[in-house]
Amino acid sequence: MSAMAAAARSEPLLQCVDVSVGYEKPVLQHANLEISRGEIVALLGGSGCGKSTLLRTLVGLVPPLAGHVYLFGESLYELEPEPRDKLRKRIGIAFQQDALFSSMTIEDNVALPLRELTKLPGDVIREMVRMRLALVGIADLARRLPANISGGQRKRAALARASILDPELIFCDEPTAGLDPIVAADVDHTLVQFRDVLGSSIVVVSHELESIRATADRCIMLAHGGVAATGTVDELMHSRDKTVFQFFHARTE
Amino acid sequence: MTAAAATVERKGQTAIVHVRGDVMIPIARALHGTLRSLQKRRDVKKVVLELGEAGKLDSSAIAVIELAKRGLHRCGKELELADLLDHHRAAFELAPEVQVKAQPKGEGPTSLERVGDYVLALGATIGDLARLVGQTLSQAAAVAFGRRKLPAGAVASFILLMGVDAVFIVGLLSFLLGMTMAFQGVVQLEKFGAGVFVADMVGWSMVREFAPLMTAIILTGRTGAAIAAELGTMRVNQEIDALAAMGINPVRFHIVPRLAALIFVQPALTLMGMFIGIAAGMLIAQLMIDMSPMTFWLHVQQRVTIGDFAYGIAKSLVFASIIGFAGSHLGMRASGDASSVGRATTRTVVVSVFLIIVTDAIFATVSSLVGQR
Repeated sequence: MSAMAAAARSEPLLQCVDVSVGYEKPVLQHANLEISRGEIVALLGGSGCGKSTLLRTLVGLVPPLAGHVYLFGESLYELEPEPRDKLRKRIGIAFQQDALFSSMTIEDNVALPLRELTKLPGDVIREMVRMRLALVGIADLARRLPANISGGQRKRAALARASILDPELIFCDEPTAGLDPIVAADVDHTLVQFRDVLGSSIVVVSHELESIRATADRCIMLAHGGVAATGTVDELMHSRDKTVFQFFHARTE
Repeated sequence: MTAAAATVERKGQTAIVHVRGDVMIPIARALHGTLRSLQKRRDVKKVVLELGEAGKLDSSAIAVIELAKRGLHRCGKELELADLLDHHRAAFELAPEVQVKAQPKGEGPTSLERVGDYVLALGATIGDLARLVGQTLSQAAAVAFGRRKLPAGAVASFILLMGVDAVFIVGLLSFLLGMTMAFQGVVQLEKFGAGVFVADMVGWSMVREFAPLMTAIILTGRTGAAIAAELGTMRVNQEIDALAAMGINPVRFHIVPRLAALIFVQPALTLMGMFIGIAAGMLIAQLMIDMSPMTFWLHVQQRVTIGDFAYGIAKSLVFASIIGFAGSHLGMRASGDASSVGRATTRTVVVSVFLIIVTDAIFATVSSLVGQR
């Protein structure tokens, strides 16, 4: 690998500089964070601390009240709509409520980004969808409508759709919320596979400590209206910050 | 990232495809074309995909290779992957082997079975509707006799929403309808020197036919669709199940107040529509044939009886029941997802308009048979 390529690989995929987010009032202020290539980062924090709002800002849905978001080195909110949409093709998003299109089958939902954003032939698209559904363990549900499958299966279908373009960066909002431990472990395994096989970086918003332990390379803890701590799960578990300590230990005690 | 290229080298009946650089979506498409053309060639028995110089393989590349492997196998040919690197082997984890259960052929329903299914479904629908009507009447009776209560303020707020907010649109359309009828009537009747009878025509038509029908059609689009959408959304969000689980009757809580409001509002709007239509006719008669409003009104009084008003109001009550029950029944049958709410709303409008027109025809036939007019 050349020095230039190595430098490009070590550049953060996503960078927030002094970002404040919220709708009318800021819920999170002066947040600085970076996501590097090939890592799974968990965004943690109590309810209402601004995790999901920050995620929506990071993917270009809610402009920050202040600061800059750099996605693949470009200032996301200073771009014209067309180049911004081009950047968005390099990311995948799995929403909290799965956001599958209810009138389409699971395979059509997963195939949608390929049909709309690429010129691949139909048989290649069908094969890619088959492979991805097999990877997330729901290959036999391809012809079903979202309403006719379980919550865990819908979450996996949403992950399949989010990852179908092999994005460099995947955002997941509470991918294991409301799932039983076995299905949650399957979803965690899928996220790790996306990192290891697709080489994607993944940003996960989660409350589930078991999932965070199983997947996250690094955690970013949001509290007190800002970034309270960053580090590995072990580092945060031994943090001296009272809120961080409570977050990790109130659940394990 | 390096641009990829695929070159084909022939050695007898073997074609060697040398792949260089990253194989991502745009390049995978070209590779797919190359491999498909080799699959079709009769002089090629084996394809070797030489990946020693290939960079990253993404999902589309793996899909193309998997498709080629299966396609060549079907043609009795072979695909060999040569010089696979570690990251290529890792990429093939994207294509796990799965056995999807094939749908057994010949087990679908026959046409007779399909007709049977349709009849059974229709019977079930009619049964559901009958149960809903029965429950609504029994709950309404329980409320009327003071054994149960409606949610506080529900009927008043629905009257406001369904009635007061519809006054302008019903009034405007009734005025335009009365005006159009008077225009047409005056032009035709004047040819026979019978222009003054425009008052009889407008008054009688508005009271017996057009005001009840026009108001019903407006309320179908406005109120019936809203009832179906609201109840359908509640059904999808499990709000109806939550009420039932709490021991609160969903029919009394959601349907009785809506129907009560509709049965109050629809005759009131119909009555308003009748008078506004007549007033519009009055205006046109004054402007076109200089017929004074007093003369016009005297003609209406001679022609239109209280019985005609009662006939129009009775029809509006039946129409209100059709709209209310269609919206409630179809809304409560929505399930699963947002599209079912859309279907319930559309079907409410179609079914209500159809039944309103059929009922209107029945009213007209029966009234002429019993010799009312």
